[in-house]
Amino acid sequence: SKMHFIFSNEVVLLFDFWSVHSPAGMALSVVVVLLLAVLYESIKVGKAKLLYQAAVSLSIPTSQLTEETDQDSSGSDSPPVSRTRLRWFFCHFGQSLIHVVQVVIGYFMMLAVMSYNTWIFFGVILGSAVGYYLAYPLLSMV
Amino acid sequence: MDHSHHKEISHMAHNTTVPSHHHHPTTSASHSHSHGGGMGDMMMHMTFYFGFKNVELLFSGLVINTAGEMAGAFVAVFLLAMFYEGLKIARESLLRKSQVSIRYNSMPVPGPNGTILMETHKTVGQQMLSFPHLLQTVLHIIQVVISYFLMLIFMTYNGYLCIAVAAGAGTGYFLFSWKKAVVVDITEHCH
Repeated sequence: SKMHFIFSNEVVLLFDFWSVHSPAGMALSVVVVLLLAVLYESIKVGKAKLLYQAAVSLSIPTSQLTEETDQDSSGSDSPPVSRTRLRWFFCHFGQSLIHVVQVVIGYFMMLAVMSYNTWIFFGVILGSAVGYYLAYPLLSMV
Repeated sequence: MDHSHHKEISHMAHNTTVPSHHHHPTTSASHSHSHGGGMGDMMMHMTFYFGFKNVELLFSGLVINTAGEMAGAFVAVFLLAMFYEGLKIARESLLRKSQVSIRYNSMPVPGPNGTILMETHKTVGQQMLSFPHLLQTVLHIIQVVISYFLMLIFMTYNGYLCIAVAAGAGTGYFLFSWKKAVVVDITEHCH
């Protein structure tokens, strides 16, 4: 017996508790999957923007990090340098966490499509389209 | 005029670890008359579970039966996911390095009022038979194979192995893109 796409109001998605039997439940599941796909595309754009903003903000000369430097530090600027490094570390760590979320959501979407339920598949595709449409123009905005 | 050029679009548009979908071999089809996912499907899990007994991993001889074997499999999958992230970043930096050479190609085109204008084409790319391009191709094949393996591992729905994939990807991203992040090219969007 072969697997193929079917139209059905019954599916079990990802977890045992996510069991759908009715058209209402299916509609809700499609909406959830759609939002998941929108989130996935947004995270991709968000990661790139965060990286850009972090690089921009950390290439500012340390004398202009006004919220961190003291006004009376005449000669030494070593505290701002180490604070910059620390900020960069936290920023990069945050990026890595976002990356994990992106990877997991990507796999969840793959597994959802693997249910071979056509409504769910449409939800993933539509969500990817909407997410891409809304998020990608934000890349060129500074 | 050098026509042996291979123009490459230097923007990485492919996403992270989800390759294009494939048809998986199945045991039983779930038609619209069956009750939910777990009933007609005895061999393959279709929902997430935590367990280490009789877990088949990718190949027919590779079956996990004890907690120790699961721990070993966790480490192996973790390292595989980490290696995948590193490979991606290594390929990106390799590509950037080999595209330092830019060729300018000028050709005359007719302009308004019968004048002749010189149009300059800029080509950023690699030659087909050059070593960087062949190396990129080999690395690409390895990357595709590993990404499919990771997908198949995630498809076992085993909670431990899925966590290993996610954690390995995160750790690999953290370690390997540390240096890469310093050189940010804002025209490159999306991974």
